[in-house]
Amino acid sequence: MSDIHIKGNRSRRLFVMGTILVLLGITVYITRAHIVPEQPLHPVSGAYLRSTFYLNLGPQINWGLIEQEYSSEITEEGYAFVTVYEALEPIEGIFDVELIIPIQEAIHNQDATAFFDATTRANSLATRYYIRLAETRLDQPGAALNDVQTAQQVYRAFGQDFISSVDPEAFRQLGFAWLNMTNSVGNSGLGGAGSTATNPDQFMEAKTIIEDYLITNFENGGYVIDTAVGQRFAPIPMSVGEVTIPLWTPPGMNLNDQDPLPLLRLNFEAQGFEESDIPLVAYGDMLFDSPEIFGDPARSMGITCSTCHNRSDINQAFFIPGVSHQPGAADVDGAFFNPYFNDQRFDSLDIPTLRGLRFTGPYGRDGRFASLREFTRNVIINEFAGEEPTEFMLDALVAYMLEFDFQPNSYLNPNGTLTDLASDSAVRGEVIFNTEYDSMMDGMSCASCHTPGSHFADGNQWDIGSSDNYSHPNAYENFFDTPTLLNVVYTAPYFHDGSLDTLEDVVNWKNEQFEMNLTDQELTDLVEYVTTIGAADEPYEIFDEENTLFRLAWAELTTFATTLGSQHIPQQDAYHAILLIDTIAPDFRADASGLQNYDDAWMVFEVADKLDEIKTAIEQGDWELAQTLYDEYEALVEEYGPQLR
Amino acid sequence: MILSLFLGLLMGVGLPGVLAQSSNCEDIEVGVDRPLNLVYIPQENPEKLIGDITEISSYLEGELGIPVEGFVALDHAAAVEALGNCSADVSFMGGLPYVMAHELVGAEVILGEVYRGNEIYYGRIFVLADSDIETIEDLEGRSIAFADPISESGYLYPLDIFVQAGLLDAEDDPQEFFSSVYFAGGYQQAVEAVINGFVDAAGANQYVTLSLQPQQLEEIRWIAESDPIPSHNVIVRQGLDEELVEDFTEAMLQLNEPEFQYLLQYVFSPDGYVRVSDDAYDGVREIAVRYGFLEEDVLDEANEDDATEDTDD
Repeated sequence: MSDIHIKGNRSRRLFVMGTILVLLGITVYITRAHIVPEQPLHPVSGAYLRSTFYLNLGPQINWGLIEQEYSSEITEEGYAFVTVYEALEPIEGIFDVELIIPIQEAIHNQDATAFFDATTRANSLATRYYIRLAETRLDQPGAALNDVQTAQQVYRAFGQDFISSVDPEAFRQLGFAWLNMTNSVGNSGLGGAGSTATNPDQFMEAKTIIEDYLITNFENGGYVIDTAVGQRFAPIPMSVGEVTIPLWTPPGMNLNDQDPLPLLRLNFEAQGFEESDIPLVAYGDMLFDSPEIFGDPARSMGITCSTCHNRSDINQAFFIPGVSHQPGAADVDGAFFNPYFNDQRFDSLDIPTLRGLRFTGPYGRDGRFASLREFTRNVIINEFAGEEPTEFMLDALVAYMLEFDFQPNSYLNPNGTLTDLASDSAVRGEVIFNTEYDSMMDGMSCASCHTPGSHFADGNQWDIGSSDNYSHPNAYENFFDTPTLLNVVYTAPYFHDGSLDTLEDVVNWKNEQFEMNLTDQELTDLVEYVTTIGAADEPYEIFDEENTLFRLAWAELTTFATTLGSQHIPQQDAYHAILLIDTIAPDFRADASGLQNYDDAWMVFEVADKLDEIKTAIEQGDWELAQTLYDEYEALVEEYGPQLR
Repeated sequence: MILSLFLGLLMGVGLPGVLAQSSNCEDIEVGVDRPLNLVYIPQENPEKLIGDITEISSYLEGELGIPVEGFVALDHAAAVEALGNCSADVSFMGGLPYVMAHELVGAEVILGEVYRGNEIYYGRIFVLADSDIETIEDLEGRSIAFADPISESGYLYPLDIFVQAGLLDAEDDPQEFFSSVYFAGGYQQAVEAVINGFVDAAGANQYVTLSLQPQQLEEIRWIAESDPIPSHNVIVRQGLDEELVEDFTEAMLQLNEPEFQYLLQYVFSPDGYVRVSDDAYDGVREIAVRYGFLEEDVLDEANEDDATEDTDD
C-alpha cells in the first residue's frame, strides 16, 4: 500500500441535546455525542433555523443578519434558485398564499413573533410543496426521489431536534412515513438495471400522515415562550402543549478542530519532562479540554478552552452563526453563552493565539486583564456561565497555559534578529520595519510596538485606527493590545476583528494608514520580513500511521487520568476526581470514533467504563475500592494501548 | 446560474437506452474549449452536505493551469450520462456505478480512496443490540432496509451475504426471504430505520457508524459482513487527453501530503488516494453480473483485458 498521511481532522464531541429552559425555571438534561456530519438541510430550512436562532439572541436582534438569510445568494450547491425568497416563489403559486411579503414586513417592522409565525408556516409549506412535486412524478420510477429527499431536508428543521424530543411517538410515525415515501417512489437504476417500481398507494398514505401533522402543528403560528431573558422561539409542534425546549444549535455551526491541527509546544516537554510528572499542569491540561468548567449552553455543546484555542493556538474553523461574524471568531459576551453577561453589543472578535502566553500579557484583545488568573476566571464565570472554579483549578489552568511556547523559527534568533538563513528581501524588510516615520504615530516605527527583542510585542495598547466605532471623537474604546508577530503566519486573519485576510493586506493597510509611502519593492520586502519572523519550523501536527488522531487523543486522556492515581485518590479529593472523570470518560468514548478500526472501540469503551466505576466508588466514599479500580484501569490502558491506532 | 443550466441538461437523463458515447467528444479540447468539468453525485454520500466544490476546483486550476468547474448531478445516471456525452470529464463514485459507467460509456477509474488506512471496506447487516436476531438465518420472514439499489455496500454486497449462505438465489426476489424490503435512500437512513423500529435489519456500509450519535451506536450491532469491497473512486471519461489525466491524477495524489490534506474534505473526506486500475473492480463486476446489472460477456471482456495487460507487463 502506498504511503498515506492520515488526515488530521480531530473530532471533538458535540452535545447535541440538553435543555436550557422550561416554561418556568431551568432544567438541564445533558446527552453527549461525538460530532457527526450535519444532516443536510434545504436552504429554506437552514435559513429558518438560523433566523430563529438569531431571534433568540435578543433582546438586541440582528435584523440585518436575518434579512441576509432570506435575500442573500445561497451558498449550498445544487439548487436552481439563487435566494431563499426566490425558493419560496413557486410555493406561493402552488398553495395560493403569500409567504414572502409577510416575512419582509415582519423584518421591516422588526416584529419577531410575526416573523417567526411567517417563516414557520413557510417551512411547513415548503415541505409540502416538494411532496406535491414528487406526487406529480410518480409515473416514472425514481423520478420523484430527489423531491422526496428535498422535502425531508426541509422537514428536518421541525423533526430533527424538536418533534424528536417533544413528541417522540409522532416523530416515530412520521419517520416511518418518510421511509415509506422514499421507498414508494422507486428507483430509476442505471442504464436500465437496478430499477424499482413506484408504489402510488404507499406514497399517498405517507403523504397524508406527514401533511396532516404539518398543517395541524406548523401553519397556524409558532411556539413562543417568555423567559427572564426575553422571548424564545422554537419550532415546537403546537399540539403538544407545555414542553421542555431542547437546547439546539443552528445549522452551519462548526466546532471541529482546525485542519491542519496546530502543533502544541509545551516548555517542559521541550526540555524533556513528562506531563504526568507535573500533576498540576496535567490537571490544568485536562481542564483546558473540559466543558465541565463551563455552564450551559457551552457545556452541553462540548465547548472547551481548546475548542477555540486548538493546541494553544487558534481555530480558524470555529463558527457559530449569529455568534461568530466570520469563521475563527466569536462574541463571548453576547446573548448566547451567558445572557446575564450580554453586553448588548455585537462585537465578535477574532480568536487570538495563546502561544507564548507567559510573554504576551496583558490579556484580552484590549488588554483588560493584567492577570492571567483573573482573565481565566472571567472566561469561566462570565463569558461561559460556569461555576466558581476552585483555587486549585485556577492554579492548574494557569500553570498549564504558562507552558505554551512559541514554535521555534530557524530564521529568527531569540533576540529578534534574523539568522543567516533569511533572504535578502527579508533583510531589507527588517530595515524598513525598524525605520521611524514622522507620519507613524509621531515618529514611531513598526518595531516601536512590535519590539523584536521582546517577542515582537510591547505589552501596551494603542489606537492605530483599526476601528472607527467611536462613541465620542476623543473616546478610548479602540485601543487594542499589541499582538506578538511570532508564528503570525499561521494565525490569519488579522486585527482584533479579523478584518484583514493576509499579512500583505496588513502591510498595505499600515502603509496607507501611516502614510509610509513605500515603493512596491519595499512593500514586498516588508511582507517578506514579517512572513520570515512569523514563520515556524513545525507549525502543524503531522499525522501518519503511528501518530494517528486517535493515538494523540489516547495519549492526552491517559495522561490526564494519571492525576487520579497520583493526587485525587490518595488525597481523597472527590470533587476534582469526579470533575476529571466526567471530562475524560465521555472523551474516551467520543474519541473511539477516530480509531482506524472502529471494531476495536470496545477496548476504549471498557477503559471508559472502568473510569465510571471509579467515579461510583468515589461517590460512595469507598476510596479503597477506587484505588483498586484505578489499578485495574491502569492495567487495561497498558494492555490495550499498544493495540489501538 | 451555470449550475442550473447544467442540471437542466442532466435532468432528462437516466432513462434506459440513452446512455451512449457521444461521437464528437474527440473534438473537445478541455481547457481551451471549456473548463475541466467535475461532476459530483449527492447520493454518493446522502448523509453529508456536499462541501464547497469551488475549493477543490480552485486548487486544481492552480495545479493544472486550466479552468476547472464543479457541478452537482441529480443522480448516478445523470453523472454517467454527462461523462458519456462529454459534458463532464471526471466523477467520484462507488464501485458498482463505476463498473456500469465503464460498460455504458467507457469511463476509466484512475484513483481509489483510502479510508481509515484501507483501500477496501465492507457492507454489513445491522440489527438492534437487544434483538433476538443472532444470525442472518434469523432474518427469514423479517423486514430489512437497504440504502439504494445502485449501491454496492448499501445493497448488493449485503444481499450477497444471504446468497452465499444459501438463503437466497441471486435471481430471486429478496422478498421471497424477507417479509419486506425497503430502500431508505442512504446508509444512515437504513440503520436509523432499525433503531426506530421500522425494520428488523439494515444492510449498509460499515462506516455508517460514523454518522450515528453515540447513543445510537449503543443501540445497534452487526451480525454479518460482506466480502471486501474496493473503495470509492475517481473516474474519467473515455477520450480525455492522457496528459491531462496524468496531471489531474498527480494533482489529486498531492492531496495526500500534509499541507494539502485539508482539501480532502471537499471530495467526500477520504484519508487520501492511491492509483488503481480497472481490474481492482473485477469482484464488483462479477457481483454486478450475478445480480443482473451487467451482461455476462462483460466478464469475458474484462478477463481478456487483464490477460492483455499481463502480457504487456
